[in-house]
Amino acid sequence: MKFSLLSKPTELQLEKDASSKYLPVVIAAMVFLASLALIGLFSINSAISDWSGAISGNLTVEIAYDKNGDMDQRAEDAVAFLKTVPGINEVRTITKAETAELLEPFLGRADVIENLPLPRLVEVTVSENSALDLLATATQLENTVPGAHLNTHRPWLDKMLLLARSIQFLAAAIMFLISMVTIVIIVFAARTGMVMHHDIIEVLHLIGARDGYIARQFQDYFARLSLFGAVPGLIIAIIVMQFFTYLASRLEAGLIQPPSMVLEGWLALALLPLLVAILTTVTVRWIVLSSLKRMM
Amino acid sequence: MIRFENVGMRYGMGPEVLRDINLHLSHGSFHFLTGPTGAGKSSLLKLLALSHRPSRGLLSLFGQEVSHLEREDLPDFRRKIGVVFQEFRLLDHLSAFENVALPLRIAGAEDDLVQKNVKELLNWVGLGNQMNARPPTLSGGEKQRVAIARAIINRPQLLIADEPTGSMDPEMGLRLMHLFQELNKLGTTVVIATHDIEMIRRFRHPVMYLEDSTLHTTTPTAYLARFEGM
Ligand SMILES: Nc1ncnc2c1ncn2[C@@H]1O[C@H](COP(=O)(O)OP(=O)(O)OP(=O)(O)O)[C@@H](O)[C@H]1O
Ligand SMILES: [Mg+2]
Repeated sequence: MKFSLLSKPTELQLEKDASSKYLPVVIAAMVFLASLALIGLFSINSAISDWSGAISGNLTVEIAYDKNGDMDQRAEDAVAFLKTVPGINEVRTITKAETAELLEPFLGRADVIENLPLPRLVEVTVSENSALDLLATATQLENTVPGAHLNTHRPWLDKMLLLARSIQFLAAAIMFLISMVTIVIIVFAARTGMVMHHDIIEVLHLIGARDGYIARQFQDYFARLSLFGAVPGLIIAIIVMQFFTYLASRLEAGLIQPPSMVLEGWLALALLPLLVAILTTVTVRWIVLSSLKRMM
Repeated sequence: MIRFENVGMRYGMGPEVLRDINLHLSHGSFHFLTGPTGAGKSSLLKLLALSHRPSRGLLSLFGQEVSHLEREDLPDFRRKIGVVFQEFRLLDHLSAFENVALPLRIAGAEDDLVQKNVKELLNWVGLGNQMNARPPTLSGGEKQRVAIARAIINRPQLLIADEPTGSMDPEMGLRLMHLFQELNKLGTTVVIATHDIEMIRRFRHPVMYLEDSTLHTTTPTAYLARFEGM
């Protein structure tokens, strides 16, 4: 199908005819909603991968205090064991002094805290994309070092993922609904516009214009109107998203991350106005041709 | 060049507004079409303009049986026919100039040619000052002249005009009738629907009149004789 949106003004100069000027407004509203749903969908997606990345990338090993055991020795054993596990990047003992420092704001003077029965901590960084089996490593570690426990955050993450996936499913359902309504609205708006231009179609037909010529004039014009609505609708949606990003970043809460989008998301957004224009073109062409078929 | 054989016409499922029409118009002829209001003059012209199909009978135009034509061939036929509609049917959002230029543009004419021919014709019909006016701002007679200009800009082989001088003063009406005469001399077949007996008296072309939904052809003298003594 020929797509000549940026072509010279056509002979018909339909843009001078005011009877369909409301179409861009309707389309802008629908594209705005569709864009928001799409942004939501992709933001949740990247938020999920951020969480999983952040959480599975950093682990802590906790060695329970045992007044009969040599805590330093146990920490060293744990470090020695973890260093043999492939896929683990970095292992570092958090010293007694550091632990005390961490707790100082809550418990008071560090030199006192150091004598408390505190667990020892080991910080573990997993290298990215490693196929590390966390559960197996945790069990092995517990067998090797008495009182050691690898905190995988797994159950918590699973719950968060479930929640996020449910929200995402909802967003997808809303997105689907909005798409359907948008399609119906575009079809309806295009149809109404065409009814208003029925006289012009008939006159053109009677002075010898071919069906394809008439259809092209109208489909290009209406596709342009659609674009005039879709592009601002999309831009406003992006501005709204940026505003929310700003609000979320001011919160500085680790969990509510500002919506961030992957490339696929931006591509989908950019395709939206194009999709709307194509849908309008096809609808208008179909309506013009079928109303011409009813004439001799 | 135009032949009707037992043609009937109806709108949708309605009654036949025209029936048993037999008609032969030879190339280069000039006819008046008359009859009381509602007799079916505009309907008959719609058949000639290829805007409606006959509900029965045979209609041939330019030597071809119309019902045998493919849909793709109809536009070429319509371009050989100029039509002045009773209700003008100008495009309100286009200027007078662009309205008249439309048939040329649709036929793919060069822009220079369009500019030259349209200006010349609009000047001739006395609308040189109103080329850029939109139809809603024109008077009835001015609109009618734009409609006439649009119908003849393509130098059609057949010109159909539905009461083309009804909305203007007698002087302008005569001027346009002379224009139709000139076109006729150059070979255009002309059919003009009119109520105006003065016009028939003055120009003395053969008269077709509609009575009881069917068509009769007669000479102007015989037709005018019916009104003698009235
Ligand atoms: N679009 C239409 N649908 C249904 N009936 C129609 C339509 N147009 C005309 N008619 C009917 O056909 C008949 C003939 O109408 P037509 O317009 O051909 O008359 P006319 O001779 O041109 O009249 P006038 O002199 O007033 O223009 C009338 O009875 C009219 O009611
Ligand atoms: Mg009429």
